[in-house]
Amino acid sequence: MQQLIHFTGWIESTAFSDWVRGAPTVFAFPAILSCHTIGMGLAAGINAAIAFRILGVAPNVPIAEMKRFLPIMWFGFWLNFVSGIVLLIAYPTKALTNPDFYLKLLLIAGGVWLVGIIRDRIETFPKRLAWASILCWGGAITSGRLLAYTYRHLMAGL
Amino acid sequence: MADFQVWLVHWYAHAAPPIAAFMRSKWGWPFAESVHFLGLSMLVGCVGVFDLRLLGVGKRIPITALHKLIPWGLLGFAINVSTGSMFLLTEPDQYFYNPSFQFKVLFIMIAGLNALLFYVTSWGRVNADGTINAPRAGKVAAVISLSMWISVIVCGRLLTFYRPGPCPKEGPGFIADCTPRSSR
Repeated sequence: MQQLIHFTGWIESTAFSDWVRGAPTVFAFPAILSCHTIGMGLAAGINAAIAFRILGVAPNVPIAEMKRFLPIMWFGFWLNFVSGIVLLIAYPTKALTNPDFYLKLLLIAGGVWLVGIIRDRIETFPKRLAWASILCWGGAITSGRLLAYTYRHLMAGL
Repeated sequence: MADFQVWLVHWYAHAAPPIAAFMRSKWGWPFAESVHFLGLSMLVGCVGVFDLRLLGVGKRIPITALHKLIPWGLLGFAINVSTGSMFLLTEPDQYFYNPSFQFKVLFIMIAGLNALLFYVTSWGRVNADGTINAPRAGKVAAVISLSMWISVIVCGRLLTFYRPGPCPKEGPGFIADCTPRSSR
């Protein structure tokens, strides 16, 4: 733990971390947070739309054609990968000392893994996998949202 | 307008004490926030996928068939109006005087009007059997819809950045983007 906080404290001392965290412009932290939320809506939302189809909503939609929306889902995912790393650089102690953050990463890993399996088996209407993917992405959203309320240390010195 | 905002803040502040009490409890606010983000994803996912289809993604999907996702997007919207109201009922002055919130409401209204216009002007043609390419008006509606909902997300996230401070001595302008003295 001491070593971790030593490391995250060093990240916080870099100019980039300081800029993201504290620059008094809407184009620093607020803009990156906005990107992270747009990507969330695209990734989790398009996953939900595909899962709803598998679960029986919009039955006249040819199911395999739902895969056409996956590139936009991946766009949302990578937008969040990048903006997430920037947010992590801004507040590394806050995230890395919170077990909830690791839960979020685990749920995202589960969600990403399920996208691949669902894509390959979509013709068989994998309903359980669709439910599991909704739970993973919904859980990732919830645990992500709760990061703002469950952290133990905001920054290394605090 | 500023007087109306002051009235709104007062009304909301006293409208539903139990909800405000729940929101001030330890997990009230985080709970509503989480549900608000889940609703956001449902809305943007279902409406966004339909908009993308109008723009030409997944052309083998009949537009009418995909439209069955829209009620689920509307459910997401209803969830967010509900959870959003919970925020308003607890900290009304943080929203009604916040320019970011004012733009958010404006963009939601444009998105609603745009959807209404879409159903009036293009839905008949889009809904015709075997339509592969949406008419131009439908594509325009899809672009407006996508940009409005993305703007709504951005305004929502910028709320904390544009938190209203107290108004200067000369008071608020036509639309208050600061907390008027009469409100404190």
